[in-house]
Amino acid sequence: MLDWLKNISKEHPEFWKNYTSKFEKKSNRYVSLSLETTGLNPNKDVILSFGAIAVVNDTILIGDTFEIAIPQYKYLHDNGITNDFLLESAQPKLAEPAAIEAFINYLGNATLVGHRIHFDVEMINEALEKLACGRLKNEALDIEIMYKKLHDIGDKNFSLDELANLFKIPKTERISTTDDAFTIALLFLKLKSRLKLQ
Amino acid sequence: MSNAISQRVADFLKEHEPFNYLPYEDLIQIANTIRVINLEKHKSLFQINDVLHDSFYVVASGVIHLTVISDAEETLLNKCYAGDIFGLRPFFAKNNYQMTAKAREESIIYAIPIATFKPFVAQNVEVLNFLLESFAVNTKNSLDSQNNGLMSDSVGYSDNQSDMMYFQSLSYNKAPLKISSEIAIKDAAQLVTENMVDSAIIIDQSYPIGIVTDKDFRSKVATGRFPLSNSIDKIMASPVITVTENISVAEAQLVMLKHSVSHLCVTHDGTDKSEVKGIISEHDLVVAQANNPGVLLKEIKRSQTSKELKLVRDKLTDIIQSSINKNIPLTHINSIAGEITLAIIKRAVEQSILDLGSPPARFAWLSIGSQGRKEQLLLTDQDSILVFEDVSAEKYRDVKDYFLKLAKKTTSTLEKVGFAACPQGHMASNMLWCKSLTDWTKQYNSWMNTPGENSNEISSVFFDYEMAFGEQKIEDAITETIFKNAKNNVLFFDYLGNDALKKPTPLNFFKKFNVEEDGENKGKFDIKTRALMPLIDGARLLVMSNNIKGINNTYLRYKQLAMVDPKFSEVYLNCADSYLVLSKFRAAEGLKNDSSGQYINMDELNKVDKEKLKNALAPMRELEELIKDRFQLTQFS
Repeated sequence: MLDWLKNISKEHPEFWKNYTSKFEKKSNRYVSLSLETTGLNPNKDVILSFGAIAVVNDTILIGDTFEIAIPQYKYLHDNGITNDFLLESAQPKLAEPAAIEAFINYLGNATLVGHRIHFDVEMINEALEKLACGRLKNEALDIEIMYKKLHDIGDKNFSLDELANLFKIPKTERISTTDDAFTIALLFLKLKSRLKLQ
Repeated sequence: MSNAISQRVADFLKEHEPFNYLPYEDLIQIANTIRVINLEKHKSLFQINDVLHDSFYVVASGVIHLTVISDAEETLLNKCYAGDIFGLRPFFAKNNYQMTAKAREESIIYAIPIATFKPFVAQNVEVLNFLLESFAVNTKNSLDSQNNGLMSDSVGYSDNQSDMMYFQSLSYNKAPLKISSEIAIKDAAQLVTENMVDSAIIIDQSYPIGIVTDKDFRSKVATGRFPLSNSIDKIMASPVITVTENISVAEAQLVMLKHSVSHLCVTHDGTDKSEVKGIISEHDLVVAQANNPGVLLKEIKRSQTSKELKLVRDKLTDIIQSSINKNIPLTHINSIAGEITLAIIKRAVEQSILDLGSPPARFAWLSIGSQGRKEQLLLTDQDSILVFEDVSAEKYRDVKDYFLKLAKKTTSTLEKVGFAACPQGHMASNMLWCKSLTDWTKQYNSWMNTPGENSNEISSVFFDYEMAFGEQKIEDAITETIFKNAKNNVLFFDYLGNDALKKPTPLNFFKKFNVEEDGENKGKFDIKTRALMPLIDGARLLVMSNNIKGINNTYLRYKQLAMVDPKFSEVYLNCADSYLVLSKFRAAEGLKNDSSGQYINMDELNKVDKEKLKNALAPMRELEELIKDRFQLTQFS
């Protein structure tokens, strides 16, 4: 119950203070995010790679991307999984603490956009806790929820591929989290204009 | 820095001009600065008089229409598809946009900042040329050549020409007025006037050294700066801008723009150290850009390949589009389009003959279906049959073999031109529809005397035909067979009557349009099957039963029927008008979407048009009653 007190006394890392200070201003930047994880349990599983791309003024900025792979040596070793596929990927690689720090710096006070984004946020929060940081403060938008809202659908779920098909977004051969983030960003633009969000 | 997305974009760009001239690393660098825009259907990216953006655009997916407003009407300049660039004005001009870019369907657009792209343009001549040409094509602005700065402020739009129009070769004055440099200004002016030209080339030993135009007389002589007695070389413009023979319209225009001149001198090898061959004026460019069916016919006759024929067909589409915009009567457009299409088919057959050697027997190539009726405005599918004269039994196989080969070649040429193959296989390249006159006579006999017996699908398209190539006598023989059989042939007419009335009705009980209920055209109105086909079938049936020969066109058939059957003339005249209105709807839809126009998107019609369409459907009921009255339709229903 007095957990929050503990947090106050604890000293946060520098990048985190920097991050929280950014929220004094409101942002018009959105960051479309896709994570690759080892599984679906935020407590046990870890992040393998980040792919993100920024959206400003209803346009996707190709130069403003973020892609990092995390070769989780310890986790993969403990669970007896090979990490060759990660090492071979073209994405730049960083250890988890550095990757999280880089991502937080990239993200800033932007609004997060993703497909089932709350899971992604949970994963990042878990990683942040290991670094003695607080939880993400960013607002988050979920394109699946946006789509359901647009068509007033309650009980059906839509995978990212299904959504991309519904909006006739061309598929690519390359499958990386960055590609997914780009697809999410396109879907976001289409949904945003249809829902007439400002 | 390269990332997965910039690679993806660079991969896309390198497939398209002008980006294919640039190395991959540069494309990555460009891709990194690109912004991606999603444009909903009917949303515009920029409009006339908007302040210039800091980027130009590449279509990644979807279709963008570039339009100008003239005479309070929106006129389509160009359609941009995936890979096409547009919005180049910021490269060349400082004033506001002169056209509107609007998404015809939901589109994804790459915005490339001018600032990043400019260095690449400067370094790479091919890129610059491509942009210049694209800009010229996208604006078609003859006024732009006047100010020295490349582009002035108005878009001189000329009726929707395809880009290709620009690349046809140019006809120009091949006997220019040539004068020597010593001649007095007054005498030169006299010569120019007598020859009724606007310029003269000053030559020295048959090489051009200068040019005088009306402008020189006006600005240098009439102003009093030079006396009339001076020799002409005092006021001539020198050196002359020279070009080679066979220059294209696009090139000529570029050269004029570049040097800001109104005349180009044509010489033997394109330099001013060779013999003068002619002169190109701005006026020639204007003439060259005028769409002219006569020119198209000539081009068809000269063409050697399917590619050349395709260019002509593309131009025909432009003519049709601009004619419809100009409200030229549809019957007139139909007959022009019909003639040109016929010439294309004829030439396609000729090209095949040139390839295969002369035919071993006389034959006739008949276009059937819509082209047989000369009602083909859009690129619909091709239907044709081939009839060859009877030959002795031992030669039959070789002869048939030859004609099948000929037909295959011709239909494939036509397919390349853009006429899709008939889905039912009603083409001369089909074994069934390429046979001797005797076989054809038998075929028609069996169709007409025992309809519905051998096959339920006698396609009525076989009863509208027009000869595209070959022996007139053969066509006459077929016509004779048909009318001989038609005489008092109740059974046959009943069959056709049933066929005509079998088509689904256009309006439902509540006078609402019957639209497609599923499939990819859901919610659209099938104007071909529900409205045009019943009218066409009805006309054919009535014409044949009234023994009217030689009129293949639906509109004219109704007109003719009104004359021979005055009792019902009102119905016929109404049907004739309806037919025109409906075809116009179809043509407009087809041109808008590059489709066959079969399905009309009802959501896009305004209220007036909807009413117009509905009214055009009204005479169909009367026609239906008339057919029901006249023929006994019970036998087949």
